[in-house]
Amino acid sequence: MSGDVSPPTAERTAVEERANHDGEAPPLQLIGVTREYDGGGETVRALIDVDLTVEAGEFVAVMGPSGSGKSTMLNTLGLLDTPTSGEVLLDGRDVTTLDDEARTDLRKEYIGFVFQDFFLIPTLTATENVALPTVYDRDRDATARAEDLLDRVGLGDRLDHRPPELSGGQKQRVAIARALINRPEVLLADEPTGNLDTDTGRQVLGEFERICEQGVAVVAVTHDELVTEYADRTVELVDGRLEEQ
Amino acid sequence: MRPGDFPAVVMATRNLRRNKLRSVLAALGIVIGVLAIATLGIFGNVLQLAALESLGGLGDQVIVSPNQDAGGESLTARDITEIQRVSEGRGTVVPLRSDGAVVSGTGGSSSFATIYGTDRPAALFNAEAGTVPERHRQGALVGSSLAEELGVQVGSLVEIAGNDYRVIAVLAPGEDISPIQPDSAVVLPESAFVPGDYDQVVVQANSGEDARAIAEGVRDRLNAREQRVSVFELSSILDQIEEFFDLLNQFLIGLGAVSLVVAGVAIFNVMLMSTTERKGEIGLLRAVGVQKRDILRTLVVEATLLGILGGFVGVLLSIGAALLLWYVSPIALDIILDPSNGVYLLVAFVFGVAVSLASGLYPAWKAANLEPVEALRD
Repeated sequence: MSGDVSPPTAERTAVEERANHDGEAPPLQLIGVTREYDGGGETVRALIDVDLTVEAGEFVAVMGPSGSGKSTMLNTLGLLDTPTSGEVLLDGRDVTTLDDEARTDLRKEYIGFVFQDFFLIPTLTATENVALPTVYDRDRDATARAEDLLDRVGLGDRLDHRPPELSGGQKQRVAIARALINRPEVLLADEPTGNLDTDTGRQVLGEFERICEQGVAVVAVTHDELVTEYADRTVELVDGRLEEQ
Repeated sequence: MRPGDFPAVVMATRNLRRNKLRSVLAALGIVIGVLAIATLGIFGNVLQLAALESLGGLGDQVIVSPNQDAGGESLTARDITEIQRVSEGRGTVVPLRSDGAVVSGTGGSSSFATIYGTDRPAALFNAEAGTVPERHRQGALVGSSLAEELGVQVGSLVEIAGNDYRVIAVLAPGEDISPIQPDSAVVLPESAFVPGDYDQVVVQANSGEDARAIAEGVRDRLNAREQRVSVFELSSILDQIEEFFDLLNQFLIGLGAVSLVVAGVAIFNVMLMSTTERKGEIGLLRAVGVQKRDILRTLVVEATLLGILGGFVGVLLSIGAALLLWYVSPIALDIILDPSNGVYLLVAFVFGVAVSLASGLYPAWKAANLEPVEALRD
């Protein structure tokens, strides 16, 4: 784990940053990212000159009040949103200006998502939900991988259960397993404990810790102080600006 | 079926199963649309086939008679030769003499009947009992109603104008609409009549087209200078009747098409509703790396499957409706089973599927082009 990364400074360029990691670039990096929206005639700046480097196996918590730009940052990290200016680097590669198709492919390969509302399909079994991201691929062993992942998050005995038969914590663990099905380098979580009680939240966060141990980076945006207990590093977004704590 | 084989079909099937009632209702619209087009098309077609079958003989006959307005009373041997020349290779010429006489059966009953005289009755008449000879030299062919009335059958004797004739055949009831009605008539050899000119000539043409050509030729040759003969030929009227039925059919199918349009709107609505409902899910799929085109394909397949399902059931019901028509009406089974009816089934099915597909396009396009961020924002 590498919780000791110092905040990026203006002097450190992206190239240097990449060179600093034994020739391996960090999985995900924002450099000077600004995101502006047109909000009813006036320009809303959701992110202002944000720099963030996420290292492999690192658990980063992003705190901040509502409207601070947390979701925009997560969407930018997840290649769901493009910055107005600045760069998004994935494994050291600039992916800022790629088209929708290329970004979709990169999402599949590099990024897993976990949402507050789980977004499980109620009519599919846990295994089918976990394998859902592979459903359009000729991925013959996806089911086996899905079962294995469910087993790893402690749901080996719930493989054929459907979401309505699962508790909130179990649903979120199914969602985590789904996020891992394509062996991502980064897992992005939007309020992962938002719909869970404290105990269940701890189980899910424990799951994130184990994932990090396997070298997958986790970025969670949250209101929940509990998350910071488990995170290697917490950054705070205030009015679109990032502050390291 | 594993997702890997036809992912869009598997996903579409899954999605349709999720809200079965709604899927069934959407497909029901297509069922009704296809049923309407197919049954109206088939019923119209059956009507046309049945009508043409009974009018069929009419179209193939040309009847030449003297023009009484111009004082003509009979056709001469020269006229007959002309008609034969025109009809060469196109049909059989049957010169007829006709008269009226009292016919008496053996039991003492008697009736007034039309008497036709011809040596070649086989071209015009069919036997119900006995045989109609190719060359008619002796004996009488008796129409079915007359035979019943007189109580005669094959082998009986009938008396006409003082002569006895043995009945060699009872004629089949005429189904065709034609000026030659054999039902209450007797057909005798020509020799039974006083030698002389003919009262009319019937040309049994090989086809409606031949009939038209013969009629044209006879008019040209015999009526060149004066209207000596009147030519009765109905194939052109038959064409008009056929045209009318075609029009009727198009009209009926148009009515059916309206219901299919309504079905299309229903599918459009259902697809729009279900994609709006599944917005979050579609956003999730896009987020985890599913391409726009895969979403689009799945939703189009969903709409098409509704069409195929609805079309299939619609076709089955239409077949049922056609058989019901056969069961409750006097229409013959061979008309119901005519291959041309299958065309209407096929057309209705194809239209049903096409309408579903077209109705699904916009909702699918709209869903596929949702920004994942927007879609995931509840």
